[in-house]
Amino acid sequence: MEKQQRHQKVTARTEPFADKASTRIWEELASSDNPYIADSSRCHGYDLIDLMRGASYIDTFYLLFRGDMPSTDERQLLEKLMIGLINPGPRHPATRAAMNAGIGKTDPQHILPISLAIMGGEHLGAGEVEGAMRFMRRHRREDPVRLVEQLLKAQGEGQPEEGDWHIVPGFGSCFGGVDLMSSKLVTLLLELPGCGDIMKWGAQFSSALEKHNMGWLNVGVAAAVFADLGFHPRSGAGLFQLLSAPGLLAHGMEQANKPITAMPFISDKAYTIDYD
Amino acid sequence: MTKQDTTLWDRQRNKIISKKGGWLIGDGVYCHGYEMMDELVGKVTYMQVVVLNATGRLPERRLAECIEAAHICLSWPDSRIWCNHIGALGGTMRASSVASTVAGVLATDSRSYGIKPLKAGLSFIQAAMLAFNNGVSVTDIVTNECAKHGGKPFIMGYGRPIAKGDERVPAMERVAKNLGFQVGAHLKLAYEIESVLDERFNEGMNINGYMSAFLSDQGFSPDEVYLICSTLVASGVTACYVDMRNRPAGTFLPLRCDDVLYQGKPHRLLPEQEDEVRG
Repeated sequence: MEKQQRHQKVTARTEPFADKASTRIWEELASSDNPYIADSSRCHGYDLIDLMRGASYIDTFYLLFRGDMPSTDERQLLEKLMIGLINPGPRHPATRAAMNAGIGKTDPQHILPISLAIMGGEHLGAGEVEGAMRFMRRHRREDPVRLVEQLLKAQGEGQPEEGDWHIVPGFGSCFGGVDLMSSKLVTLLLELPGCGDIMKWGAQFSSALEKHNMGWLNVGVAAAVFADLGFHPRSGAGLFQLLSAPGLLAHGMEQANKPITAMPFISDKAYTIDYD
Repeated sequence: MTKQDTTLWDRQRNKIISKKGGWLIGDGVYCHGYEMMDELVGKVTYMQVVVLNATGRLPERRLAECIEAAHICLSWPDSRIWCNHIGALGGTMRASSVASTVAGVLATDSRSYGIKPLKAGLSFIQAAMLAFNNGVSVTDIVTNECAKHGGKPFIMGYGRPIAKGDERVPAMERVAKNLGFQVGAHLKLAYEIESVLDERFNEGMNINGYMSAFLSDQGFSPDEVYLICSTLVASGVTACYVDMRNRPAGTFLPLRCDDVLYQGKPHRLLPEQEDEVRG
């Protein structure tokens, strides 16, 4: 007969949990008549109504995450990135998830969460941004050409037999080549006065990768700007999702009123079962 | 400019080659070699199909029953548990049950609790088994693992927040015993680790540690278990959703303005407003 394992009796640990949630971001001041109704709301000290009157959306967005207003250069850099990332395009898997939900008549309020969940992926998605930010922050003082050679030597065996290879998060091949749109975004961003050291270093790193048929991916571009603007790497994934959200929603909603036949359904002839 | 090789993608345009199965209209519905309507429906349990779809292998019924019992262990209707709390918040603001349940499930993609620690638990016990088979003592396994956390007793599958001990472990032991499972090599090692931890740190095994060892003995990899258990907590989240869905909207743990502690900057004016004030 097997010996019975003795386990501990279940008892509470009485850990010191906080009495209240706390925040440095938002302050709500109660109405004198009802403690649940806010009479004013402040973002890092600025009254929300004042922000509506005197600040831009980009200012307030930056303030929310960074705690202070952006400089003119920072505002311009963030705004240009937001335009550059506004739509992943109808071929991106996250957008296709939104379109699929739309054409399938999924409740409209679910379209964005569905597509953003897919956008969390680690291949050309938000899941790649934090790693890209950390990589560039860690290596920004190294010679990018030499680093590329070292990485190729060290990670060459990690290259998949088929398909794209992201040699490090944020950089790699895209459908077997260099992603041209990402390169174009970078060309414009590099011209801005707010463009920072990490973006400049990333551009050199990307150039060194080009002869190996790799370069910037848009997640890498986003990561470089986020890092230069001082956002924490852990915020990178969510920021990327946020900036991609308008395009995801627009494409999903565009399909929502179309008949289900308005998108392809793979025919039986083109559907093959091929067990390993 | 050289034409780039896009053969990989060209080969897969407008077609699906499934390694799992599918619906061949008018012929049948296939799942890993089984015809679902004839061979699976009414003949195997839902949990057997969950494992089949996740791993490609149809487990014996009693193993699926054990995995199902573990799902029950993670389906408490207590809205203080983090994933369940999300379900309750969905209920109170009248989100749909699907959205709320899925949101709670998504929350378990967490470093602290849920399914990722289960995957890490399997990785730990399988690595520990390898070390043990290579001559490392159980005491050294514990010491080495704790050393990764500054000597503290942080071993995946042992200890737990909120409480010491875990009532789910003896429950699962009873289930496994009643279904005729023996204590395998991984579980035996897991028990020995528990004994060392208990003696040294007064910490015990949790449900993760038990299931990690049990499922390792059944031949599952960490990734397979992560796939099988994707919706591990779903039912408890739904329960907490329903609890709040059936009460007046917005009444789940309502917060007064001063129930949130503000620790940020004091009230300030925008630069333009300051200029105006200065005149």
